[in-house]
Amino acid sequence: MTNMTSPLDRRRHLTGMAFITPTMAVIIAILVYPILQSIVLSFGQSSIDGSEPYSFVGLKHYATLAGNERFWNSLWVTLVFTGLSIPLELAMGIGLAVLLNEHFRFKGIARLAVLFPWALPTALNTLMWRWMYNTDYGLFNAAALQSGIVDRPINWLGDETLAMGSMVVVAVWKTSSFMALIILAGLQSIPRELYEAGRMDGMTRWQEFREITLPLLKGPILVALIVRSMDALRTFELPFNLTDGGPVTATESLSLYAYKVIFDFIEFNYGAAIVVVQFLVIFAMSLLYILTLRNKD
Amino acid sequence: MKFTISALATAAALTALPGFAQELVLSIGSRGYGPAVERNIERYAAENPDVSIEWNKVSDVPGETRKLYVTGLTAKSPTPDIYAVDVIWAGEFAQRGWLEPLNGLLDEATIDAFNPSLLAASTVDGEVHALPLYADGIHFFYRTDLLEKYGLDVPQTWEEVLAASQTITEGEGNPQLYGFVSMWAKIEGLFMNWLAFANGNGGGFYDAEGNVAVNSPANIEATQFMVDLLHEHRITPDSILNARPDDARTLFQQGRAAFLMVQDFVHAPLSADNSPVAGKFDFTRVPYFEGHEDANSTTMGGWFLGINPNSDNKEAAADFLAHFTAQEQQLTAAVEDNRAPTIPGIYDNDAMKGNAVLAKFGKNYDYGVVRPSAGSGSKYPRVSEIMQLEITNALHRQKTVEEALNDAQAQLDALLSE
Amino acid sequence: MTKRPRFGLYALVILSVVISFLPIIWLVLTSLKTTEGIYAWPPQYLPDPFTLKNYINIFTNSPELLLYVLNSFIVALGCTVVALSFGGMAGYALSRLGMRRAGVLMVFILAVSMFPPVSLLPSLFQTFLNLGLLNTYTGLIIAHTGLFLPFTVWMLASYFATLPPEIEEAARMDGMGFFRIFWSIVIPLSWPGFVATGLIVFIFSWNEFPLALVLMTQNAMRTAPVGISLYPGEYAFPWETISTATVIAIVPILIITAIFQKQIVGGLTAGAGK
Repeated sequence: MTNMTSPLDRRRHLTGMAFITPTMAVIIAILVYPILQSIVLSFGQSSIDGSEPYSFVGLKHYATLAGNERFWNSLWVTLVFTGLSIPLELAMGIGLAVLLNEHFRFKGIARLAVLFPWALPTALNTLMWRWMYNTDYGLFNAAALQSGIVDRPINWLGDETLAMGSMVVVAVWKTSSFMALIILAGLQSIPRELYEAGRMDGMTRWQEFREITLPLLKGPILVALIVRSMDALRTFELPFNLTDGGPVTATESLSLYAYKVIFDFIEFNYGAAIVVVQFLVIFAMSLLYILTLRNKD
Repeated sequence: MKFTISALATAAALTALPGFAQELVLSIGSRGYGPAVERNIERYAAENPDVSIEWNKVSDVPGETRKLYVTGLTAKSPTPDIYAVDVIWAGEFAQRGWLEPLNGLLDEATIDAFNPSLLAASTVDGEVHALPLYADGIHFFYRTDLLEKYGLDVPQTWEEVLAASQTITEGEGNPQLYGFVSMWAKIEGLFMNWLAFANGNGGGFYDAEGNVAVNSPANIEATQFMVDLLHEHRITPDSILNARPDDARTLFQQGRAAFLMVQDFVHAPLSADNSPVAGKFDFTRVPYFEGHEDANSTTMGGWFLGINPNSDNKEAAADFLAHFTAQEQQLTAAVEDNRAPTIPGIYDNDAMKGNAVLAKFGKNYDYGVVRPSAGSGSKYPRVSEIMQLEITNALHRQKTVEEALNDAQAQLDALLSE
Repeated sequence: MTKRPRFGLYALVILSVVISFLPIIWLVLTSLKTTEGIYAWPPQYLPDPFTLKNYINIFTNSPELLLYVLNSFIVALGCTVVALSFGGMAGYALSRLGMRRAGVLMVFILAVSMFPPVSLLPSLFQTFLNLGLLNTYTGLIIAHTGLFLPFTVWMLASYFATLPPEIEEAARMDGMGFFRIFWSIVIPLSWPGFVATGLIVFIFSWNEFPLALVLMTQNAMRTAPVGISLYPGEYAFPWETISTATVIAIVPILIITAIFQKQIVGGLTAGAGK
């Protein structure tokens, strides 16, 4: 408050405060307050209806968490899901972006096709896929059985390994487009001269891609990776609608587990500890990305 | 509909001078109790013009509805005033103080008319917390035409079910035809299924002394039989592991299974005009293992109606509740919609004479077994979760049956001694 | 360029388009089949007989499925308007009004948006209940605004940063106040940014699931993704109804995406372009 000398600066400052107040009010009410409440809840024992007053229990819930097989399973499921889907999405995204960067006819339709899976609600996308995966009446098994590839229906969502694979496919289908669009914008901002120079040096198209395109795409790729990893680490409606976390707990993500703990088993404090850990994982992942990509520069 | 009823009620309330217009909110699914809900509301509105009933159609997926109630009740929401609870939540909700005790609100005669073993599910500390609306249970459906074709009797034991399935599937030689289908997805229905198998072998959730004994030799044997049906004899489709009741019903209805074990509700769609198996199926009690013909293997379910303790209109809610579950309403639901009544006297009513299906359901309920929800109270959701998870582990052969049930036993011991 | 790669290119394009649309095509085909056709063996790839019965049934027997779409529309529109108004002002303050610690605030806004939405539910539910905001459009609009404001602020702040500062400086020389500069100069200049951000926020809100699941407890107030997801019954999963309802619910998004695809793509890529 010391260097606010000129009236213009003061007015600028007041306008700034006024402009930012509504946003901060909403963010504090909808995000910050519930987050703080979660953190407080995770260190205590209480009931949300107030019949059991809050008592501080320290790290008790975190200790329970550390010894709970199902928690570790859901953390593992979340990491495997993220670890499988993000690289695939990235590869598909780069491929699609390179494709869309070419010149061809009906580009509008192609771009719409890429955009469409992203624009639809995950919950409904998932229902569509669940229907195609259906063991007895689904498209995939109908085709597989009729063509004679298999003689017994494949249990896409009922087998531990396949279910995770099936879930990853839905995620990749939906979000490769998002990656592609961000990378495409990066591609389009690369000056043509660089390629012309490369061609004069006798580079092949693959060399061009590796040595000119990829390094310049680092920024957009980083952003896409962070945004998508955050989403993948919080994935909820995908297992909710596709498998309900099954078979057994093979696709039970952290968010789904937390939801079940909070609303099925009615253990708010323990559930709060899960989401706090989840937040820390997301935060650590974001930092990791930023640090690795910064170091490589 | 809702609006017309409220409008009528409001109009009526305005003309009746001393009346107070009261509004009650009722939460119940739109398909579970079928057309009876609307009918009951209309009947009540006709007799009580000063009360308007708003029907909040909650999800018909019990798990979703449960979460909805839990969020509302923990936050002390005053609505709904009256709500439907699954029999397995009744004890838990009563214990958590989420259901108003009815003994002070209704006279004893009204409460005493109900089937006492059903009332037990919602009785905590000697007080009844919800009234049973209708009962259901699992039954064993079979294809009469297929049994006839191969000269087979209706199977009574699981051994006979297996033999008949093998005869039929081998005889038909159709890879799209399975022997036995049921609901083995990781849902409450799986636990119901397991109880049917386990009790059918002289086992069960509790031993004779009432201690939890899920890893008893009889239970291990019965569970192993389930695993073998799927993996060794392969008379069930792999998709049974994600089948919910209606998935199993659909397979059976499309003529793709000889035997089906699910709840009452399938009878109506199976016998509908456009059903390929209409007139070609019948049902009997849930099978048992050889030597256990007295086993109580029909796992029972059902829905209750209770009052929210935070309601602003408990008196009015109680009046509505009594009317909704009264003999007259239940009789219509029984005759017209095949809903099993919860007031024993109704079965003797003359209007029931023509309903052979319901009478047969009722006979199967003589072999009824209920889930351990009253005994475990607020811990029941976790009890059920442990059982569903470990049975699924066994069915997926992630663990041997013995390991799975031993693990379940250990977890249950720890949970119930907490 | 030679001919061969062109052929390969078109093959890849067609493959991508087919894969993208496959689930939707299969869903539309399902919705045009009879119940028997859906569960038939051998499977029906094309509807035989073709029927509009499922659509007629939805309009006559399950009008709540249409209500879900209307609810989604009202909430998404409301959220978009509020988020753009609040986020526009905040973005301008953070990028142009020389606020101290603007960078810290931006990072703070981003960090709180990383928290899993599921964790907000118990607390939000109780607050909304106490304020009477459950089952109201206002309530869900505020909740969605909170959820998507961080994105809006970041998008618009980075858009404002691309505007040449000279115009605003000139306006200030003429004695214009900050609010008037924002209202009559910055907003008109930033229309493309607002349109792109608004479209994306609209889609986000239309698609949002966990909060819409918990904050709208009455059937009549549910949004399309939640209502359709919860439509299956205790015993049944009626695919003929669910496929039809899903088709109806995605048509608005399909139309919006098709009309505004340039703006949406522009917005998505601008957000990442910095």
